[in-house]
Amino acid sequence: MKKLITAVVSLGLMIGTASAGTDVDADRKAFVGHFKSIKPNVEFADYTIGVYAYDEGSRDQFEEILDGIPPYEEAVEKGEAEFEKFGLAKCTALADPAAARLAHPYYDDAAGTVVTLEGTIRKCYTEQTGKKMAPMKGKVARISAWISDQAAGEKINVKVESDGAKAAYERGKSTFYAKRGQFNMSCADCHVYNAGKKARADILSPALGHTTHVPMYRAKWGGIGTLHRRYGGCYKNMRAKPLMAQSPEYRDMEFFHQAMSNGLEISADRYRK
Amino acid sequence: MKKLLLTTLTVFAFSAQADYLDGAHNWNTGSSDPFKAAITAAETDYATALAASMAWRDTGKMIKEAHKLQTSGDTAAALAVAKAAHNQAVNALSQAAVAGSAGPRF
Repeated sequence: MKKLITAVVSLGLMIGTASAGTDVDADRKAFVGHFKSIKPNVEFADYTIGVYAYDEGSRDQFEEILDGIPPYEEAVEKGEAEFEKFGLAKCTALADPAAARLAHPYYDDAAGTVVTLEGTIRKCYTEQTGKKMAPMKGKVARISAWISDQAAGEKINVKVESDGAKAAYERGKSTFYAKRGQFNMSCADCHVYNAGKKARADILSPALGHTTHVPMYRAKWGGIGTLHRRYGGCYKNMRAKPLMAQSPEYRDMEFFHQAMSNGLEISADRYRK
Repeated sequence: MKKLLLTTLTVFAFSAQADYLDGAHNWNTGSSDPFKAAITAAETDYATALAASMAWRDTGKMIKEAHKLQTSGDTAAALAVAKAAHNQAVNALSQAAVAGSAGPRF
């Protein structure tokens, strides 16, 4: 029986790696079309502000926060200082911060893996200092936020071209849509099918545009955290065991997740409730 | 007549096995100690679910709790928690089996 389960699990995972027929543009059009169908009055460009595009009251609060001194401003400034202090500009991949944000995530054919901005920052930090950098919050989030700010206004344009990239994209897509945890829920259950509806007191944010303002400052965290930190939080909410930040599964999912927001502007307004 | 008898017995044997191995079957290690059987099954399936990155949040904690209860002598509670942990792990594996083909509904 165990052998049977193992075989079925392996088969399921293998199906996820199939890249034949991957059409990212068609996927993205269907994705955007879904949000258009549930919220016909929300403009595509407004998805950069996420859930605040859905609720006027929340949007007013959001704009008030931005009108003052946003709570993440100090952290982003610290990120710039850390970028310089640790000599991260010496790494070719980060020499031009705005270009670095636009280039990530990408699929590295030689390494056979998805490379995220935080992955590159951590690698460069280790090369420059000989130390390791935590992957979810603190330095990595501050530096990544400052780098992302340099590309504010530019459009997300994740490229999924090689067979390896397509396979990673398909794995990420499956991870995003797969039901998991004790609640038997998927990321899509909240952030696609029920986006804009309430879960207790909160309005569920749309997955479209999620990656335009990462790393994000969350009032709940009282600080800045990476997209993978948020993935971990969602997994816990579904009562699934969170994976390690920067794990291959989360990197693949980010690859898919970012590609779905292709065409949206990167935003420096990184406050979220 | 012999053939008929043999065929009937064979079919009966297979049916009996199939009935015995129903969905709630606890495919244990053959141990006569119910706790040991349940906890081994839970730990094995939890390890498989972890390897598939599909484990549930609390299963590991439940396994630890079951061991703690067993050590403290509360064997009935230990067995109940071990069985619940195993049930979680089996459900996680069921999710893992279809996760690779998950996709949008639109």
